[in-house]
Amino acid sequence: MITLGKAINMGLRRALTEDPKVLVMGEDVGKLGGVFRVTENLQSEFGEDRIIDTPLAESGILGTAIGLALRGYRPVCEIQFDGFVYPAFDQITSQLAKMHARSLGTLKLPVVVRIPYGGGIGAVEHHSESNETYFAHTAGLRVVTCSNPNDAYWMMQQAIQSDDPVIFFEPKRRYWDKAEVNEEAPSLGLHETRTVQEGSDLTLISYGPTVRTAIEVAAVCAKEGRSVEVMDLRTLSPLDLAPVFESAQKTGRVVILHEAPTFLGLGAEIASQITEECFYSLDAPVLRVGGFNVPYPPARLEEHYLPDLDRTLDAIDRAFAF
Amino acid sequence: MKNDLWATLYRGMVRANAWEQQLLRFIEQGLTSGFYHAGRGQEAVAVGACAAVRDDDYLLYDHRGLGQAIAKGIPLDRLYGDFLTRETGTTRGLGAGIVHIAWPELGILGQSGTLGGAFPIASGAALAAQMRGSDQVVICFFGEGAANRGTFLEAANVASLWKLPVIWLCENNGWSVSVSFEASSATANIADRASAYNMPGVIVDGMDVVAVHEVVVAAVARARAGEGPTLIEAKTYRFRGHYEGDPQTYREDEELEMWKKKDPIVLHEKRLLENGYSEAELGAIRNEVAEEIAVAADRALAAPKPPMERVFEGVLA
Repeated sequence: MITLGKAINMGLRRALTEDPKVLVMGEDVGKLGGVFRVTENLQSEFGEDRIIDTPLAESGILGTAIGLALRGYRPVCEIQFDGFVYPAFDQITSQLAKMHARSLGTLKLPVVVRIPYGGGIGAVEHHSESNETYFAHTAGLRVVTCSNPNDAYWMMQQAIQSDDPVIFFEPKRRYWDKAEVNEEAPSLGLHETRTVQEGSDLTLISYGPTVRTAIEVAAVCAKEGRSVEVMDLRTLSPLDLAPVFESAQKTGRVVILHEAPTFLGLGAEIASQITEECFYSLDAPVLRVGGFNVPYPPARLEEHYLPDLDRTLDAIDRAFAF
Repeated sequence: MKNDLWATLYRGMVRANAWEQQLLRFIEQGLTSGFYHAGRGQEAVAVGACAAVRDDDYLLYDHRGLGQAIAKGIPLDRLYGDFLTRETGTTRGLGAGIVHIAWPELGILGQSGTLGGAFPIASGAALAAQMRGSDQVVICFFGEGAANRGTFLEAANVASLWKLPVIWLCENNGWSVSVSFEASSATANIADRASAYNMPGVIVDGMDVVAVHEVVVAAVARARAGEGPTLIEAKTYRFRGHYEGDPQTYREDEELEMWKKKDPIVLHEKRLLENGYSEAELGAIRNEVAEEIAVAADRALAAPKPPMERVFEGVLA
């Protein structure tokens, strides 16, 4: 059994071993091994030239990585906490996302940006945010997130192999979740939605940290005689919705669960697409469960903010009551 | 005494200017938009500097004119194609402007759109050169306006800390759109800021192509030797508006007239005539350039425009 954080570490180690052009850079990623220890021991193994402790300067980290990528390297940048990515926003949205299109593919940008995201660790604003929508909304970026150690291990390697920039969201409150990792072969490609467990009465869609919540919700529903199909999106841009449509057509009821605010969150896009594709199969409107449209609250109040078992079960009740 | 380099620099400035004059005609004819920031008056900086680097050195340029990319050797019909939305463009017609022009085979890594966005990219390209053990350098052009971006601090700090081969070349033309340098800088010179990053800061007359060339040659030698970056501030002036159609109510006519007396092309022409070149020789250079420009413009105009479905090209690899 391996933790999700360790699995990412193993994925990075394997990528660093297999391709000398892979670099890791960011604040405290070297000697310290990252504040979450995700890059632990990489510097002692691969050296200071490949595991680079940078100054505290996110725009500089991203820009330097872009320059390296333009000249053949595959940098993996760590943004220490979700909210720390904003100083690098210009580099990501105006440079990283657009240089391939600007040059019509003459320039390749194989940069991975690792972002530990989401709340639930007793931290504060800027340390607990779910800001994936900003990046999913920007053409030219690929955006993915893992929910379990096996995906973390493989998706990290697949992201590094991508010739496009990948924003890799890591569910930080799940860093310590343990599960088996199959080091032989990946079970899915980077941009594929997974059906975590099958069900017939309702489709519960989630990604990242709330996939575990969704599995717990399905277990409670099973006791109440409701069969819930749980889906883990994994890829946030591009979306892989074909299996979602198929599931919605089968169950007729859909609830989307994510930690980001529901207002203009990914759930809104998914609900809209399901409505367009599956309108005549639906028995209830597609419902969303997510964060409130407020700045991330103080740590002592975050349990009220984070979408949990109760709020999701409540939405499921409403879907059935419709 | 005749000096081949001086003649080359003259041809370079004449080319940059002639290319731009033709582009301005295209704008007047409505063949491309006025979202162009003319470089007239600043040719000496681009040409003098780019003559000091090799084809395999890297260039990050900014919005003011196309002199830097032209001096680095990018094919002229390609540039017109980008502005005219024609298949000859570097993006085969999808570019429509400066931001989109990259030409990696000559080390031209593009322009960042948001000014100052290129600073950390320059440090990254320089770090790549250093890591590979090559002696390539990066030359990064920017204005005194962009020098105020925070990204300069981030990039200049690591460039100096890691002794990266970067030449930071500030074209101080006195005006950040409508705000004067005096109204926007706490330091009397941009070069004064170099000491904060523990690198040399050099001020040069940006209207003198030979002087610019000499300071960049020295900075390139320092960078190739692994001694780190140099900040060069070229004092220059833009003769046209910030964009085509700029009413320019913010500056006095006298100021513009005073600087026009230092026209870098005219000054250098005088130098050549005083050093053994005949008017006929310089005229021949101008005619050859005019012919080259005409051919490039015709080639671009003759090329087809891309169809709508190509808008979806190139977003991802």
